[in-house]
Amino acid sequence: MARYAYEGDFEGFLCALVASLENGDGQPEFVRDSDAAEAGLFSGELCQVPAVREVTLAFRSRFVAAVSREAFATARYAFHSGKKGIEQLLWRYLLLGLEQGRLLEGMLTVEPVWSINRIARHVSHEAHKFKGFVRFREVTEGFLYASIEPEADVLPLIAPHFVGRVGDRPWMIHDLRRRQAAVFDLRSWRLVSGIELTAEPGCSDAERDYAALWQRYFRHHAITERHNPKLQQKHVPLRYRKHLVEFTGP
Amino acid sequence: MFSLPLEQRLEVLADSAKYDVSCSSSGSSRAGKAGALGSTAASGICHSWSADGRCISLLKILLTNACIYDCAYCLNRRSNDIPRAAFTPDEVVALTMNFYRRNYIEGLFLSTGVLRSADYTMEQLIAVARRLREVERFNGYIHLKLVPGADPLLVARAGRYADRLSINIELPSSRSLALLAPDKPRESVIAPMRQVSGLIVESRADRKESRKAPRFAPAGQSTQLIVGATPESDREIITLSEGLYRSLELKRVYYSAFIPVSSDNRLPALPTPPLLREHRLYQADWLLRFYGFAAHELLDEAHPNLDMRFDPKSDWALRNLQLFPVEVNRADYEVLLRVPGVGVRSARRIVQARRGTRLGEVELRKLGVVLKRARYFLTAGGRYLGGIRLDGPQLIERLLAPARRPARLDQLELFAALPDLSAVSGEL
Ligand code: SF4
Repeated sequence: MARYAYEGDFEGFLCALVASLENGDGQPEFVRDSDAAEAGLFSGELCQVPAVREVTLAFRSRFVAAVSREAFATARYAFHSGKKGIEQLLWRYLLLGLEQGRLLEGMLTVEPVWSINRIARHVSHEAHKFKGFVRFREVTEGFLYASIEPEADVLPLIAPHFVGRVGDRPWMIHDLRRRQAAVFDLRSWRLVSGIELTAEPGCSDAERDYAALWQRYFRHHAITERHNPKLQQKHVPLRYRKHLVEFTGP
Repeated sequence: MFSLPLEQRLEVLADSAKYDVSCSSSGSSRAGKAGALGSTAASGICHSWSADGRCISLLKILLTNACIYDCAYCLNRRSNDIPRAAFTPDEVVALTMNFYRRNYIEGLFLSTGVLRSADYTMEQLIAVARRLREVERFNGYIHLKLVPGADPLLVARAGRYADRLSINIELPSSRSLALLAPDKPRESVIAPMRQVSGLIVESRADRKESRKAPRFAPAGQSTQLIVGATPESDREIITLSEGLYRSLELKRVYYSAFIPVSSDNRLPALPTPPLLREHRLYQADWLLRFYGFAAHELLDEAHPNLDMRFDPKSDWALRNLQLFPVEVNRADYEVLLRVPGVGVRSARRIVQARRGTRLGEVELRKLGVVLKRARYFLTAGGRYLGGIRLDGPQLIERLLAPARRPARLDQLELFAALPDLSAVSGEL
């Protein structure tokens, strides 16, 4: 049994998976390089695999040709759940796909397809929610900042959406849980890790006014005769509310 | 009307707009432009949910709540004694841009009371939309209300800027409209709908020829019907909706349970808004749009109103027991869709999964098919999933059993509260 350490993201993981295939390992194990250090694993016991764009792309083409674009997207979303053991599950899923080809898509009740689909659905649901739940605030003239704490690692999945949407200001979306941020400089965006706040971000004058107007609008949108906080809570669970300005107001 | 400070006018004009239940930001798919603000997502995006559980997607406000008309069901009617306010076009533009940039909203839904004349009022709405698009380069979602009786040229102009247009029929029959909205002859509502429908078809064809052809309301048009203010049966309402979907290609018909917004003696005194009935109408509407049902299958002379005890699909199935049970490994997709409790998503998964595996009860559960109701209408591998065979009345008893408690509204998924994410979000 060999252990492969991969560089943090999905690309890195696929490179490690390709390496394990090339070595013909029947039962590889995968660890994130950051976790490997924490777990006190020595480099001697580990096969360090660098992330190489071309390797990822080649694997992607191979898998898409064998199965489908959707099945590949499913794997990517499932990876971003960040669940413990997701790598092992994905390894089985991707291999099964290469072996079974298009049949994989019909194997909805078979493991690991069932689990991978379920996990991917969960992540995609949360990613969709966060397209709505990101709240930018203007911290200094013209610069927008948003903090989020999603359960899954949805930031890389939603950042391109915001690049297409808020293209006229530089911004940062900060995942506090994972200490990473998507940063947009009016031209392109990138993911930066190890970001921590040293102080509570500031707030421009206009910011206070518009946040207050939005809070008022939010209160008045509700129709009293239809009062239904349970339904509201189903859609906006309490854990999300901390970062939603309309729920933090007076 | 401009004397109140902006924040108070925002409250007044949001209050006046909120009874329009349309909230959807779907149906338009437009990528962002480099350096500009805004894009649209085909599925629509909800940004928050207010205390009534309704989704907030668009900034829904009136330009003014002053009105020269006197429609009985409307909060803004001339004879109602409420504070009046108005925004300047600049104020609406600034609110939209700043809310949008902070990702509070998907765009703007702008409606208004009627000032001076229909044409004058329509021009005001268009001015806001034009400024957003041409001066601010705003590329997000815009839903504009059409003013009944406005010049067709103005209607045509509105659709150049808006993603969606709507004009509310409000009252399902012309008789009701005449009684409660004497200023609005039916034709002034239907004519613009017909015009919009024609222009949408035309622009779609033009854009097939050339991508440069101008868009016209790419997210289509919608309307709203008020339920419970007048005596129409559900059959009249659903038949009207069917006609609107089929002949005018409406994207959505919204149903709004009548809430007495202060006493007008032309209207019934309702203790509570008929929310359950509204919910059943949405379910029936869903069956028309995504499940291949026709209005006359759901409601007829003998059953002019929807059963409040069950969803309309169960009700239909109970009246057509001779068609059941169906075999889950063989039945066509269209047939599966007619099984109570089987939604679009479940039916799709069944069809996909049975290519590779023979489906039994265990597999169905794994696919996420909820068998609570469906089991009485299905066989799997020849085995009836409902246990002992039941006749009609016994089956009704079974289907009702878990819901002995009176249907509780807080458990209902009010479809009006959701954007039309896609066909699959309204499972029946
Ligand atoms: S014309 Fe419109 S705003 Fe005026 S009273 Fe009638 S429904 Fe209300």
